[in-house]
Formats: sequence, structure tokens, C-alpha cells
Amino acid sequence: MSERVSTKLRVSAVEYLNAQPLYLALAGNPDVELDTALPAEVARRVAEDETDLALMPVAAAATIGDLRLVRGMGICARGKVRSVVIVSERPLEELTEVSLDLSSRTSVVLARLVIRHRLGGKEPKYVGRVAADAIASIGGTTGAVVIGDPALRIEGKPAYTLDLAEAWREWTGLPFVFAAWFGRPGALDAAQEAIIQKAKVDGMARRDEISDAWAKANGRDELLASYRSYVHDTIRYDLGDEEAQALARFYEEAHKAGLLPKAEVRFFDQDRDDVASGSKPAQRQSLDTLLGRAADGERLSAAEGERLVAEAELFDLGLAADAVRNRKHPHDVVTYIVDRNVNYTNVCTTSCRFCAFYRPVGHPEGYVLSREVLGQKLQEVVDAGGVQILLQGGLNPELPIEWYEDLFRWMKKEYGLGLHALSPEEILHIAQMEKLSTKTVLERLRAAGLDSVPGGGAEILVDRVRRKIAKAKCTSEDWLGVMRVAHQMGLRSSCTMMYGTVDTARDRIQHLVKLRDLQDETGGFTAFFCWDFQHESGVRIEAGDHGTMFYLRQQAVARLMLDNVAHVGASWVTQGPDVGQVALRFGADDYGSVMFEENVVSSAGTTFCTNAGAIEARIHGAGFRAVRRNVRYDWLNEPS
Amino acid sequence: MTDTRPSFAEIEKKVRAGERLTAEDGMTLFHEPNLLKVGALANEVRERLHGDRTYFNRNMRLEVTNVCMASCLFCSFAKLEEHMPGSHTMTLDEAWHELETRMDNPPSELHVVNGLHPGLPFSYYTDLLKGFKRIKADIHLKCFTAVEIHFFARHYGKTYEQVLLELREAGLDSLPGGGAEIFHPDVRSRISHDKATGDDYLEVHRVAHRLGMMTNATMLYGHIETFEHRVDHLLRLRGLQDESLALAKAAASNGGTEPRGILQAFIPLAFHPDGNGMKNLPAPTAVDDLRTLAVSRLMLDNFEHVKAYWVSSGPDVAQIGLAFGADDLDGTIVHETIYKAAGSNSPSGLTEKDLVRLIREAGRIPIERDTLYRVVKEYDKAAMPEAALKVRDRKAEKHLSILKEIVS
Ligand code: SF4
Ligand code: SF4
Repeated sequence: MSERVSTKLRVSAVEYLNAQPLYLALAGNPDVELDTALPAEVARRVAEDETDLALMPVAAAATIGDLRLVRGMGICARGKVRSVVIVSERPLEELTEVSLDLSSRTSVVLARLVIRHRLGGKEPKYVGRVAADAIASIGGTTGAVVIGDPALRIEGKPAYTLDLAEAWREWTGLPFVFAAWFGRPGALDAAQEAIIQKAKVDGMARRDEISDAWAKANGRDELLASYRSYVHDTIRYDLGDEEAQALARFYEEAHKAGLLPKAEVRFFDQDRDDVASGSKPAQRQSLDTLLGRAADGERLSAAEGERLVAEAELFDLGLAADAVRNRKHPHDVVTYIVDRNVNYTNVCTTSCRFCAFYRPVGHPEGYVLSREVLGQKLQEVVDAGGVQILLQGGLNPELPIEWYEDLFRWMKKEYGLGLHALSPEEILHIAQMEKLSTKTVLERLRAAGLDSVPGGGAEILVDRVRRKIAKAKCTSEDWLGVMRVAHQMGLRSSCTMMYGTVDTARDRIQHLVKLRDLQDETGGFTAFFCWDFQHESGVRIEAGDHGTMFYLRQQAVARLMLDNVAHVGASWVTQGPDVGQVALRFGADDYGSVMFEENVVSSAGTTFCTNAGAIEARIHGAGFRAVRRNVRYDWLNEPS
Repeated sequence: MTDTRPSFAEIEKKVRAGERLTAEDGMTLFHEPNLLKVGALANEVRERLHGDRTYFNRNMRLEVTNVCMASCLFCSFAKLEEHMPGSHTMTLDEAWHELETRMDNPPSELHVVNGLHPGLPFSYYTDLLKGFKRIKADIHLKCFTAVEIHFFARHYGKTYEQVLLELREAGLDSLPGGGAEIFHPDVRSRISHDKATGDDYLEVHRVAHRLGMMTNATMLYGHIETFEHRVDHLLRLRGLQDESLALAKAAASNGGTEPRGILQAFIPLAFHPDGNGMKNLPAPTAVDDLRTLAVSRLMLDNFEHVKAYWVSSGPDVAQIGLAFGADDLDGTIVHETIYKAAGSNSPSGLTEKDLVRLIREAGRIPIERDTLYRVVKEYDKAAMPEAALKVRDRKAEKHLSILKEIVS
């Protein structure tokens, strides 16, 4: 990170009680910059190189991949852990549903492994819920995985409590490692590691003080004793050989079950020893092995994705992506949709640097489409046998939510087309303007006719990049948050990536991992599309990594990373129909949309037009049968 | 028929062993459903020959007349007669002026192809060439397709050899590859019945090679021809190249100083349907373009270069072509009218910077060459670390040994 001036070690830690004994003594150390956050945020900082060393859950570390551990310490349990449990009114075998708090992936993976093991491969239905809802859902044949403080609070109350660390020990004979210090290879030298070791020694001595302060801060004096024994006796802070073996076993089981990428347990000091002794670094998996695993549809870590980007040949990526496409869509059929992209207004308050389309409020070229113009456009879609309207626009402060509601009702009533409308940015804009929650906005719009949400405006879901290309745009978390809410309501959406500005390979992979994580949670993404930033005058940013080959590689890598997204679409509108066709052999199973009117792209100089006949000819030319689809990717006719 | 065709795996083995492919092998390659397998194999050959080296030149195209006696079905360029609307024949001064105006950044090659104009004296052509050399003595004149040479011979009552010698005397350096279309008479008689036959075309090149001229070859695909016709076309070219190479080698080993010509590059050309007699046909798609490049690279084992002609496929697909067997992007062109007339969306010229960028984005090393593939300028590899393919250190000979023997 060349931008860094400070030579301090940046350390992040999860802000839970059980973690404090390991990091609290670092506070005030002049060589350390310490911050704390929720587990997902700590993991994000590691993934986006905003921190050097993190006390983080082991599952998140596997998702990032190729991280090193500090030897000798972790948050572990030998037997009961008390704070990670499945609670229910009925025994495990009788449960039909288990609520999962998806914010803790390590616990979720452990729970699923233990359940599979106990029930001989059988699994109840899993439902993602936030912690409070998960606890509230317990009853009858519904159980819940409960984590952290809430677990300690309800200790002993429900009829059945399965302590997951204890269950793991019964199964494997091993302790369980929940979290440890992780960082990228070379992030920490021996002297810095000594600081971390020393902090643990200090922290161990201060455990009573720490748990008492925690009880006080949370207003839980009644749990004082419980907390004390929890950090004294329940949690084990030593990570020795047996724990390392336990972690390796967990990674192996989770990988076998398809729940985590393949991960290794490797310590910082091992790297240093290798360097010191001049011996070859530990055997890395070969690129061919990695490509083979990717082609088999295995879950890849971010590090593995980056390695594919950096090292794999175009054809190897293409063949692997094609294999994945073929497994997910074994009929050699490529879909397309007959629809139209309508930009209802170009007035926008955001002024993204890559956008040549918007006009500020009051600009003479600003427009809001009238019903008349819209009606004509919609009629043309109906006449052409189209099934959908993709409606997007700028963030126009003069259009209240009622305007959208009226519009949607009118469109539905008069033309009956599918309404794929308003990207997350626009939803947020309406919510802010109207002082409503995202959920309320989405509910009202759905009642008025909204069918699905387009995945535009995702750009790169790394805030460092977003701030540079579009200062006023919503954050990554905001974007994902709107999608989460939409998916939870049962709305489906696509997801996209616009790369080629200031983004790096790591940013692009991180973008894909964020989409994949949300997809694990909600399953609401139907398809992924990517394209490069279309450079043109009127745009105030330089083009970064782009080019046709680059696009094909990018799309292939996306197909390999997004193992849980059903469809990948070729973006012929931006890449041109020729490259779009070739992209069908690089992992895409969809050719996008036939009718075209995409102002945000076309005013940046990319205008391609094609009709259904030409699209089908290209699909055939690439060796596939063609079929029309709707927004849910249902086939509307027989493939031909 | 299908069951006698060799499997793709057998072909892979042959290619890796350096064995020659047969017509049946060619058919397998055209029918292999997995485009990327064909591409990857062609890429192996390409990288064996050239590593990441990828050529382009600074050239300029000129069509001095579009009046043509022939009536090729695929041609949107020619106008039958002198005074038809849209017909145009440059005066010599006009033609020379085209080059003169480019002298601030002069091209290294001038590529001239024309219609078969019945009303011009032969001296028009010799004067034309002489005038170009007067403007720039070292410009490489790559002019007149074999079809034009054949027409000159017939029209002015000369032999091929006489025509070529007289034109060489006037400044002609080499022959472009245009006019090959599809050699097979079943196709040629339907699309180009009133111009040089396939045999005529090959004979003109044969004579040119004997006289020591380098030439190129093309194939116009994607109209009414079948894959068999394409394979047949490639094999005829390979046969001619075998002959010319044998003669060249013999001459070289006799210590003869007499230079011998060969086919330098093969350029597959995609048919474009607008404004011509086959406008009801769909244009070949990008996947066909890439496959044809790849199969050509695999079949033409005695050609050093295969070109992805960006004017024909568009710069984007040409860039992908650099992974499907092509090692050359042609040149800056400056002024292309033939494909334009047939509705191609490609720009009419690219700058050197554009070409260098296209090549680097494909992870290759740009090499500016002259017409005879001598290095003019070697660029370094992509400055875009992540856009480049895997960083490889491929050992590739700068030139195939055949060329070394003959040209140097
Ligand atoms: S990209 Fe969208 S949000 Fe950004 S300025 Fe353009 S219209 Fe507005
Ligand atoms: S292709 Fe050549 S020979 Fe045929 S009509 Fe056109 S200009 Fe004349």
C-alpha cells in the first residue's frame, strides 16, 4: 500500500467480550493502530487492505484466502463454548426449520456441519434471520442458532440446547477455533508478532477486569459471574498444535461440504522460517489444480480468484467458465429477453465522474419523459412482442414517490409489461427524499407494480473505488442493503459490475465476493452482467484496465467466483454484438436484451443496435439454441 | 462421412508432433463444437512460431478506380461503368496527391487495389507506380491483386511475367493477397464468374514468386461456400507455398543470389453483405471469424504469418484473434473504402497508438514491421499489468527459419 505513510501496524479486532483479552492491551501502544468493529467489517478491512492484522472469525479468513496466522493464540474452546448453540423446544432430529444468524458465518458453517453429521446428512430448512428474529422464531419444530451475548442470556431456558463446540469435540475429538489473528503473508515481522504475544499475556491477567467492565457497559450485572467464568474457563486463548489441527479439520470438512473455499492453516513464523533457512516455500497448489477445481464449480477464495486473474491463460479461464456454464445450463441453450431500456429522466443530483448522461437540476437539456412519449415507447415494446421494461433514470429531486406509484400503476394497467425498475441508488434516493425506509419504499412500489430490481449502479462495491469515481454515490453497504431488503421481500434482482476506472484486480474480486456473500444470504440475484467503463468526452475520469480480452477474462472469472448465481449475461450492448457472441463461450448463458435504449451508456458513445433475428443468428453461430425469457429467466417458448 | 473424420484429440496430437493436417482434419476443426479448444490449439502454434510478438505496419490503402468489368456478387465497391453514379477514377495527379498529403507522417507501405477498368492504358499503372516512388523513393509498393495482374495480361495482350516485370520496372515491390475469394470452381463460378479463376490466381502468384516477389493470400469466407470449400482453398494455398518454398530453398542452397518469393501472410476476409449481390445473406459472426483464423493457422503449417485483418472483423474481434492464431493486425490503413461500402462498422483508419494499445491489451508484444516483416520498431510489453495475460517468457524465434534463409 504505497499510499500509507504511517509505519504503525494496523490492527483490527472484533469487538466482542471473548476477543478483548487478546487485543485490549494493544490500546495505547505507539507502534500499533488499533480499531474494533463487527466481524464482517473486520473481514472487509482485511480484504480491502485497510488493516494489516485482524482478530477475525476463521470462516471469513477462509473466504479471503491465503492468510497467515499468529501462532499461539486464538479464541478456542475445548468442549462447551456456551456462546454458540442451537436452541429449540424439540430435539434436533425433530426440527424442520433452523433460523441462522447470517452475520456469523463461522457459527453457521459449524452448525450446518454438526447438523449434517448428527442427522446423517439430513438437513432441516435453513432460514436467515437477524439475531432478535432468530430467537423469536424458536418454538415447535423451529430451532435457532444463537450466538454471543444472547446465547449467554438465555442459557438454561430453552428445553434443548446443543453446544456446538461440544458437539464438534464429540464428533472429532478436537477443540474448536472460532477466531484468530490473521493477516496477508508478510504483513507482520517477528518484532511486531512479539507485541501481539505480549498483549495476550497482559490480557490474560486482566480477564476479570475485562469481563466486569463488559457486564457494566452492557447493564448486565446479573451476568457478572457468568461472564467471568466464560472468559476464564470456557474460552481457551491458546492455539497450539491440537488447535491448529482442529482448524485444519474444520476447513477440510467445510470445504468438503461446499460451505467454504479450500483453506490452509499456515503461520507467519513458518514463512519467516522458510526465508531464514532458504528452503522452498510450502507447496502451493498448481494453477492447473486450481483451474480444475474452478471448473468443477468449487467455491474459490478471493485469493484464488486473484490468482486466476493474474496467472491463468485466456483459454483456460474460458474453458473452465464454459464448463461451469455447461453444468449449470446443460441444454446448450442461450436465453435473451425482448425488452426496452427507458431512461425516464436525465436530471440527476449525483454527477458521477463516469457519467455523460446526467444533467443537473435546472439544466436546459434536462428532461422527464411525458406519459405521451413513454406510452409510445411502451406500445412499441408491446408491438414487438416485448415482455418487459427496464426503467431507470437519474436521481431527480423533483419526483416524489407518488409520481413513481402513479406511473407504475398506469404502465401496468395500460401495457401490462414486466417492470424491472429503479436501481438501488434510485430507491435510496426516494427513501431519503421521502424520509421513508427502503423497505417501505420497496413495498409501496411493489404494490404499484414493481416486479424486479435492476442491478445497475453497483460499479465496484469497494468504497475506496466508489468514492473516487462517484463521491455522492451510495456506499457498498447501502447498495447491498437495498438488495438485501428487496430479496427478503421476495423481489428478484440482477447484479452488475462496471470495472475499468481506478479499480484493481483485488477490488474486482472483492466485488464478486460481496455479491456472493449476499447471495448466500438471500439467493435473490438472478444474473450477473459486467462491462468496462465506456470512456468518452463528457466523462471526467481516465479509463483503467479494459479491452476486449480483458472483458472476456473478467466475465470468465466472475462465472467461476459466483458459484451461487444462476446466470451470467453477455453485455453486448457495451461490448458490441460480436464480442457479446464470443462471450457466450466464456461462461455466459444469456445474451441480454434485444431492444435497446440505454442512454447512460449510449451517450458515452457506445451505440449498438440489433434485432431478435440477428441475436438468434449469433446465438446459433456460437453453437447454442436460442430461447426468449422473462426477467425470472423462465423460457417463454421452445428453444430453437 | 462423419465417423471417418479424425477426432479432435488425434489432431491435437498431430499438431503437437508437428505433423501436417489433412483435409479431413480441417473438417473436424470446423465442426468441433468447442470453439475455445480450436483456438487454444491454434494459439499453441502461434506461440511456438512467434511467442507474444505481434506485428503491424504503417500502411495506407488506395483504390484509384472502382470501375470494373467484372461483376462479383459480393462486391459493393465496383461500379460497372465509367460514368455510372458513384464511379470514380483518379487522375494520376489525384492519386499521387493522396500520398503527398501524407508525407508529414509517411506510411512505409502503399497498398493499391482497383477494379478492372477497361478504358485505361497500361502506362497509367506504370506511371502511377513511378510517381509514387518519385514522391517517396523507399515506399514499399504492394499493388494489384492477382486478379488485376491476370486482367492486365488479357487486356493488354501480355504474359503474367511480362506484366509483372514491367510493373516491377516501374516500382512494384510485392503483390497483395486480394482476389482469392474461394478457389473452388463450384463457388467461384457463382460469385466471380467473369474474372481470374482460382488456377489463374495461383499461377500469377507462382510466377511472381519465381520472379522473386513476395505475395500474400486471402480467402473470402462466410457467403455461399461450405467448410469443404474453405478447407480446399487452404490446401491449394498450402500446395503453392510448398512449391515456392522448395524452389526458394533450392535456390538458396545452390548459393544462387537470385531471390525467390513466397507467400508471406494469409488473411482470412469475412464477407460483408451490404450493398452487394448477396445482401440477403447474413454476415459471418465473430465466432466464425475466430474459428476460421484458428483453422487457417492450423492448416497452413508452411505460412509464417496469419493476419487478423481488423478492417474485416472490427478491432475488438481482431484483438481476440491474436489469441486464435493471428500474429499480425495489418496496419494503420488510413483510408479503407471496400469494406466500408459493404457496411462494415470498422473505423477507416487506426493510429499506431491504437494498434499498439490493441496488441498490448491482448498481453502481446507490439512489433512495427515493414512489408517484408523486417522489424522497424520493437515495443515493450504491456504497461498494464493486470490487463496483460500471464507474464510469460516464451522463447520464440524472431523469424521462421524459412524466411531467414530466403530473405536475408
Ligand atoms: S450514473 Fe446515474 S447516478 Fe451517476 S450521474 Fe449518471 S444518472 Fe446520476
Ligand atoms: S471484387 Fe474486384 S473484380 Fe470483382 S467486381 Fe469488385 S472490384 Fe471487380
